[in-house]
Amino acid sequence: MSAPRGGLIGSPAPRRKNRELLTGEGTYVADIRLEGQVYARVVRSPSAHARLLGVDTSEALRVPGVVAAITADDIDDIRIPIRLPFAESPEANAVLQAPLAADVVRYVGEPVAVVVADDPYVAEDAAELVSVDLEELEPVLDPATSAESSRTLVHESFGSNTIGRLAYRYGDVDAAFAQADVVVRRRLRVHRLAATPMETRGLVADYDSGSGGLTVWGGAKVKHFTRALLSRVLGLELTKVRVIEVEVGGGFGTRGEPYPEDILVALLARRLERPVQWIEDRWEHMVATNHAREQEHDFELAAGADGRMLGFRVRGWCDHGAYVRTQGLLPVVLPMVHLPGPYEWQAFSMDLDAVLTNRTPVGTYRGPGMTEATFVRERMVDILAAELQMDPADLRRRNLIPAESMPFSFMPGPGSGAVMPIMYQGGDFVQAFDQMLDGAGYDRMRVEQQQARADGQHAGVGISAYIEFAAVGPFEEVEVIGGAGNVVVRAGVGSLGQGVETALAQIAAELLDVPLTDVTVEFHDTAEVPQGFGAFASRSTVLAGNAIAAAVDEMRAVAAPLLGCGPDDVEFRGGAATAPGDRSVGLGDIGPTRGRFEKEGLTASFGGAVCSVSVNPADGRARVDRFALAHDVGRAVNPRLLRGQLAGAAAQGIGGALFEEIAYDEHGQPLSVTFADYMMPTAAELPDVEVTIIEHGSGSNPLGIKGGGEAGMVGSLGAVANGVADAVGAGAEVLSSSVSSAHLWHALHRPTGHDPGEE
Amino acid sequence: MKPPPFAYAAAGTLDEAVALLDEAGEDAKLLAGGQSLLPLLAFRLARPSHLIDIGGIEGLDTLEEQDGCLRVGALVRHATLERADLNGGWQALREAASLIGHLPIRVRGTFGGSLAHADPASELGVVAAAFDAEIVLRSVRGVRTMPARDFFLAPLTTAADPDEVLVEARFPTPGTGFRSVFEEFSPRIGDFAYASVAAGCRLATDGSARDVRIALGSVGPTPVRALDAEQALSGSFLDDTAIVECARLAAELCDPDAGDWHADGTYRRALVSHLVERALRRLGGGP
Ligand SMILES: Cc1cc2nc3c(=O)[nH]c(=O)nc-3n(C[C@H](O)[C@H](O)[C@H](O)COP(=O)(O)OP(=O)(O)OC[C@H]3O[C@@H](n4cnc5c(N)ncnc54)[C@H](O)[C@@H]3O)c2cc1C
Repeated sequence: MSAPRGGLIGSPAPRRKNRELLTGEGTYVADIRLEGQVYARVVRSPSAHARLLGVDTSEALRVPGVVAAITADDIDDIRIPIRLPFAESPEANAVLQAPLAADVVRYVGEPVAVVVADDPYVAEDAAELVSVDLEELEPVLDPATSAESSRTLVHESFGSNTIGRLAYRYGDVDAAFAQADVVVRRRLRVHRLAATPMETRGLVADYDSGSGGLTVWGGAKVKHFTRALLSRVLGLELTKVRVIEVEVGGGFGTRGEPYPEDILVALLARRLERPVQWIEDRWEHMVATNHAREQEHDFELAAGADGRMLGFRVRGWCDHGAYVRTQGLLPVVLPMVHLPGPYEWQAFSMDLDAVLTNRTPVGTYRGPGMTEATFVRERMVDILAAELQMDPADLRRRNLIPAESMPFSFMPGPGSGAVMPIMYQGGDFVQAFDQMLDGAGYDRMRVEQQQARADGQHAGVGISAYIEFAAVGPFEEVEVIGGAGNVVVRAGVGSLGQGVETALAQIAAELLDVPLTDVTVEFHDTAEVPQGFGAFASRSTVLAGNAIAAAVDEMRAVAAPLLGCGPDDVEFRGGAATAPGDRSVGLGDIGPTRGRFEKEGLTASFGGAVCSVSVNPADGRARVDRFALAHDVGRAVNPRLLRGQLAGAAAQGIGGALFEEIAYDEHGQPLSVTFADYMMPTAAELPDVEVTIIEHGSGSNPLGIKGGGEAGMVGSLGAVANGVADAVGAGAEVLSSSVSSAHLWHALHRPTGHDPGEE
Repeated sequence: MKPPPFAYAAAGTLDEAVALLDEAGEDAKLLAGGQSLLPLLAFRLARPSHLIDIGGIEGLDTLEEQDGCLRVGALVRHATLERADLNGGWQALREAASLIGHLPIRVRGTFGGSLAHADPASELGVVAAAFDAEIVLRSVRGVRTMPARDFFLAPLTTAADPDEVLVEARFPTPGTGFRSVFEEFSPRIGDFAYASVAAGCRLATDGSARDVRIALGSVGPTPVRALDAEQALSGSFLDDTAIVECARLAAELCDPDAGDWHADGTYRRALVSHLVERALRRLGGGP
């Protein structure tokens, strides 16, 4: 009998399917061709806000090849519900989106009709012939004024553009401010961004009238929720709906939520009794798929002359766009729980409004809320550092929650609304922060900065530190089926290209002591994997990984009587359960077991980023010359995949700071609808991202894993903005998360005190 | 993002191309490298009745110096220009080509397509304006030529008639010692420039600048020749004072309304001044 293999958890195994995917052998939803398949094209609102007087499809229906054209009149009056219970409120439920607009259109891109034809080109030609009769209304476009002073209402019947007011009070904030030697105040703005996965959304739905079953390909991220929703909307039994995940070219939080199109395509498949395919094009993607991040915050920070940060007050407006979608009020809930971050505040007071505007709805995008909150808080910390003439790293270190205080919580006090409490289970923030600075060579960065300045360059160093809440429950359940030379793990998570199947296989292989190649992970099909919550909040490895551990424990319990020993004496060796004295039973003889991991609350992890930045004041260009980050992942199941996730997320964040912006004109027309206008970074604009992985374990789950899929994003906007601010010094105030060359040039060439993101 | 319906024909020869174009009428369009036209079709911003593909015509990719000028054929690809042995007086042309889009775009995109498309951000249009290229047009009615300054009328609009094929451009060979450079600012590598400058001059034996040429891109409806700036610099040394003054005069030509949401007119004006300075310092022997 061989010695236990071990070491698979923590090994840099290559991602499964790399070769297949890189050589074009993967099957994506657009690759699916079914017998008799027809193609849907969505007709979208050209206007940001208008009364919809009529939609006439008669001309489109006359085009040869067109098989259907539907409007709101042809479907039931339904709303797409909120998926996450903690992000609901009665107000939020009053402004949910219908699959097709009926009386009013509220953003450019809102679906008003669908045309289906036997050829996608014909569908697009015919869609142009649908005439949409509109009576223009004033659009609401600015989040802060939308809430306070807009005469126009995005939803007239709701009576207000504010759909949620969240309040969180901790400690005596007035006392903290009364004690302060210094108070800094600014209004900071986070600009609108979009996740833009390489693959746009897409679906194929097929209804079999014989069996009464509906099969949908292309749903990813939250398959089981999508299945439940479709079963409800179509009035089918749950078991009659099957959602199958195929390869996915990126998700980043936006792709795979149920959107209007998911319902429309399923309804059309049943109505036509033919397979219907819909593939979103990039223009549609830029107006139809969730946007993210836009918010404004008035932030006041009180501190002692010694740099002790005492308290803060924040009043903010978080844009939700024109409707509340499946993620509910997360665009306001998540910034709130992340605003306090890793510092030991005596007190704070937060009031955040969820507001509506006549623009594409807002949802979560990798590092949701936390990226925005980190930008706001960390920019303020640097503004304080400048005011106190302190080194920003020293100022932060002085205020980090000490390890002795763990676990730590900011319990909501009187005056708070119904909010989730902010609690940190553990970790050593100071040690991790110093590890990050050492990894980055912070002291050397400062020396190089001085040298560059002596050469007349505008060089800056930017830091940010954050708390990421991740790994949301409620639970995952997996099934582990052992066999000779083959172990199958069935898990209800989703793969968005992040490699979760590789990480889960590593966990199963190590716990069962089988070769990695023997483990197959199945998660694609709701018919085979009956339950699951999906891929979001950096939860998949944490939840499903621990569920695998539970299933293995269950195997041990089943094997024990067969081996005539206690469960604790069972050891897995080379594909068999063994007991002292050379007794063993093959995994295949134990039978499938299930494991369930339930998780309450969120897992907090600490991290941060440091970068060096150079700015050319003549053209406004900021370059990130170095970018180093650190993240506490608890325990790295696969450091190679983790580095990829962290570096990729950081690259996305750097691009968001330097180039990307979703802009609208004064009529609410979107301006960033192509990749020529929505400028994602390429390798040429990015530095290498240097990654320090911190493994401070976690008390909240047996495997000690924390989230890692999003973390690289969280500190990025804040670190880059701080680096730019440090580079330009008194030359400009950096008050927006967008430091594109144009914004920065304007900030540098106008009297200080203005918002560089305002033009 | 699927093109509206159109008829397609591939022309084997230039004669065939002009005949097909004439036959197909006003709403037909030539298709060369497709790098501008196909995106317009995908967005349904162009709805030509016919596409006449000239991409396969032989002999339209001349790139040679002949009879006192450099002839650049319509089908010379940006990638070919970028790698051609073009130095000294022609260096701006090579540098301009290397700044167009990304390599896959430069491998397909054509010189003639770039001029005919007349995007005010086109690097090659700016070079044509700076160095007085003669544009050669051909139709069933015959051949005519016109100087670049008359060719560009407005964004995406030229003086060519719908039945004309741009065959080549002829750049007059400059005097010995003439040098040229190209500078631009784009947010990312490969983006359309927010501002660009083609500049050239010859340094006389006393070191003063002669035959000064400066043209600007992305700051007005067409490439703009900076005649005042050229004149101000002519005969002076390329010292700081002259360079700054020349850059200031060039920047004054920028249309403050020429900008868009990415980069407004004020910002572009500042970029021009910065780029002209950079170009002139290079012509004066700087980095
Ligand atoms: C991502 C991207 C980035 C780009 N970046 C830049 C850039 O930075 N700078 C830049 O200048 N360009 C850029 N381009 C455009 C590129 O340079 C095009 O190649 C060029 O503008 C058009 O050349 P083409 O051969 O592709 O023409 P096509 O797209 O085939 O045609 C363009 C137009 O010119 C007409 N036409 C073509 N050839 C002739 C001819 N011989 N006679 C008469 N009419 C003709 C066509 O009918 C059409 O109207 C970019 C393109 C892309 C896709």
